[in-house]
Amino acid sequence: MKNILNNRISIVITILILIFSACSNEKKYQVLLVTGQSNSSHNWEASHAALKKIIDNAKIFNLDIAASPKKGSDMSDFNPDFKAYDVVVIDYDGDSWSEKTQINFEQYVANGGGVVIVHAANNSFPEWKEYNVMTGLGGWGNRDENAGPYVRWENGEIIKDSKPGKAGMHGDKTQFIVETRDYLHPIMKGLPLKWMHTTDELYGRLRGPAKNLNVLATSWSDPKTNGSGNHEPVLFTVNYGKGRIFHTVLGHVGSDQDLIAYKSALFIYTIQRGTEWAASGIVSQKIPADLPNIATPLILPYYKQYTVVNLFEKAGKYEVGKSKKFINLISQRIRNQKGNQEGIANFENEIIKLLNSSKATSDAKNYFCRELSWMGSQKAIPVLETLSKNTETAEMSNYALTRLKN
Amino acid sequence: MKNNSQSRRNFLKKGATAAVSLMVLPQIIPASALGKNGFVAPSDRIEMGLIGSGGMGKANLKNFLANKSVQVVSVCDIDKRQIDSSLKMIKDAYGKQEARSYGDYREMLAKEKLDAAILALPDHWHSIIAVSVANQGIHIYGEKPLARTIKESRAIVNAVNKNNITWQTGSWQRSVNQFHRGCELVRNGAIGKVERVEVGLPNGRPSIGTPPVQEVPDGVNWDMWLGPAPKVPYRGVMHFNWRWIMDYSGGQLTDWAGHHVDIAHWGLGYDNKAPIEIQGKGVYPIQGIYDVPVEYDFTCLYDTGVSLRVANSGTYSDRKGKGTDIENKRTGMGTVWYGEKGWIHVSRGGIWASDAKLLETEITNPIYKSTDHWNNFIDCIKSGKETITPAHIAHNSISVALLGEIAMLTNEKLKWDAKNEQFTNNDRANNMLSRPFRAPWSLPNSL
Repeated sequence: MKNILNNRISIVITILILIFSACSNEKKYQVLLVTGQSNSSHNWEASHAALKKIIDNAKIFNLDIAASPKKGSDMSDFNPDFKAYDVVVIDYDGDSWSEKTQINFEQYVANGGGVVIVHAANNSFPEWKEYNVMTGLGGWGNRDENAGPYVRWENGEIIKDSKPGKAGMHGDKTQFIVETRDYLHPIMKGLPLKWMHTTDELYGRLRGPAKNLNVLATSWSDPKTNGSGNHEPVLFTVNYGKGRIFHTVLGHVGSDQDLIAYKSALFIYTIQRGTEWAASGIVSQKIPADLPNIATPLILPYYKQYTVVNLFEKAGKYEVGKSKKFINLISQRIRNQKGNQEGIANFENEIIKLLNSSKATSDAKNYFCRELSWMGSQKAIPVLETLSKNTETAEMSNYALTRLKN
Repeated sequence: MKNNSQSRRNFLKKGATAAVSLMVLPQIIPASALGKNGFVAPSDRIEMGLIGSGGMGKANLKNFLANKSVQVVSVCDIDKRQIDSSLKMIKDAYGKQEARSYGDYREMLAKEKLDAAILALPDHWHSIIAVSVANQGIHIYGEKPLARTIKESRAIVNAVNKNNITWQTGSWQRSVNQFHRGCELVRNGAIGKVERVEVGLPNGRPSIGTPPVQEVPDGVNWDMWLGPAPKVPYRGVMHFNWRWIMDYSGGQLTDWAGHHVDIAHWGLGYDNKAPIEIQGKGVYPIQGIYDVPVEYDFTCLYDTGVSLRVANSGTYSDRKGKGTDIENKRTGMGTVWYGEKGWIHVSRGGIWASDAKLLETEITNPIYKSTDHWNNFIDCIKSGKETITPAHIAHNSISVALLGEIAMLTNEKLKWDAKNEQFTNNDRANNMLSRPFRAPWSLPNSL
């Protein structure tokens, strides 16, 4: 009786799941996030949780987690069913997998499976030859010239350098600029050509087989912050059999659990796009509205973009001297309308709402008066006239009125 | 005393015509003394005032202190420290202190009887002071860019014309040999018909965040420094670094357009020609007090079919070692004209061409030659001739940057009617052709 009931429940659940997936009307990619161990410099518990949020937030993936046994435990039963997934994201640097698991993984990739390698995952498995072919480049783990050449970017091309030496180094943790080198690649197409990354470790002097390796982006590893003095590959792809590998060397998180590198907009966007590309060879995700630029990193604390409502709510709290992030993101979104009348009118409505709001600060109102002065219409005049009677907002509302009444 | 001074000023005035000066001059000083190394009696020197004595003010001051035809008589600044350091320069040059100082240009203009003035102010102050000075009939050596907005820039040109004064813009590259040579070659057909031009200007500044409000330094009149710009508390961003805030400047773009865009126009023969269409993209900071674009890239189209691209130098990455650049010195900076027969590139680092022969092209139509930008101003005051960069040319050069700035801010393709100085397809863009001034400041009418 109990069994029958259980069966019925499970049938109902199955039907519900089927209805749900039918409703969503879109095929979701199946993602397996492999994690569970990291070396002493890293913290898989923090990093994999952030990666899960980033991948979930793209809304086109179903993600499962395969956490390995603890370091030093018996690994023989750790054998995820890779082939059930479109893409395997590796956030793992630890004990060797069993030979059976290694072979399964090699077959999975060779047969067209996707792989995403994140940061210290390229430290992993120095002795596993095929894994190193897949990652293309790796560091530490006693890797040296036998692992393959050093790879750096010089005068517009990849330089492979076979001179002897250890693999892997990084300078001080710092913000650095990432420069797109293959702007036509589906992962990079439409993203800024140069963008500032949040504070992170920049790996340098990695070496490896580097076969079928395509560099998407590099960063200057500055000797002033104890870097290598090279333009180091930071985002690249590798083809292995029919499989596609997306490799990001970004994404350090140590024992302090500081996830600032994972909150970098372009880290988020490239993980989301790179995961889709590794799964399918295409990228269907739209270019996000909020982009970092060469001067300032863009931190997205919830691993996803702000909505317009979010932005105005936060911008309304602006005080001069505090962060200009939200008001500047709104200005950027207005420019991105490229003169689209409807889009600009929507932003004007939001600005008028803010100017009418008793919750918004005078500093926020003053900023948006300036914005209205060029993109506003006659609709804005009543609220500007009201603001012009208040000493705190008189100057900038008159500034806007002067232009709009002209 | 007053009459004396007035009559001397009249003689120096362009309106008095060259014929008058030819008659009068030899009676006062030996011709050999003029613009040469000879002695000029102090009473016959051009009495000059300096308004704005920061970096560029002092650089220009140094050049004019060395000019025997000039007597620098007064200095005006809102910062006592800058007044003191420039008075010291004057004393060191003349051996004694006779120059007077002012904290307000209006007082200086009321009390002094200047023949000429150096204006080296932040861009947001250019138009009001330039028009006020021009209205007094005083000749002006004015720093580039001509003004912060197109309407203000136009007002300066009108004031210069109505008052018939001599104006020299600080676009001194026109008086430097390689720039002159590059322009002359292009104008003489060295590369055939010009198809497009690339102008490279410096990359943007990194963010400094938003520094805390600070006490205004002793001797600084902060409200006067702000002048017509919106009132904000002092955060330590004043001299030099005003360049990175849009209330005062358009950044590297408007700073350097007065050099390399100016040179691009000169080479094209476009000193009186403006673009008809402008489109481009700027990258703006997300954080911090600086808000000028850190990267910029826009293209202007002219009615001749020629296009002019203006971008930060990092945009042009693969020039090293090409053409005659055997020393690998070419960078993204400077002006490159591309024509049907090849290209010529000129920057502060040198002049290069796609083929060395282009640089040997015979010159049949020489262009205006000046070898000393500051002396060119003095010579023109005396002769009544037009300087190598008069106000109307500076207006035409800076218009390119100001149009580009508006195209990037609106992020739209703009159509420009140069005759009426209006965009024909965009009212939002037209809103940005001028900017409201903070009371009590307003742009004076040209007298």
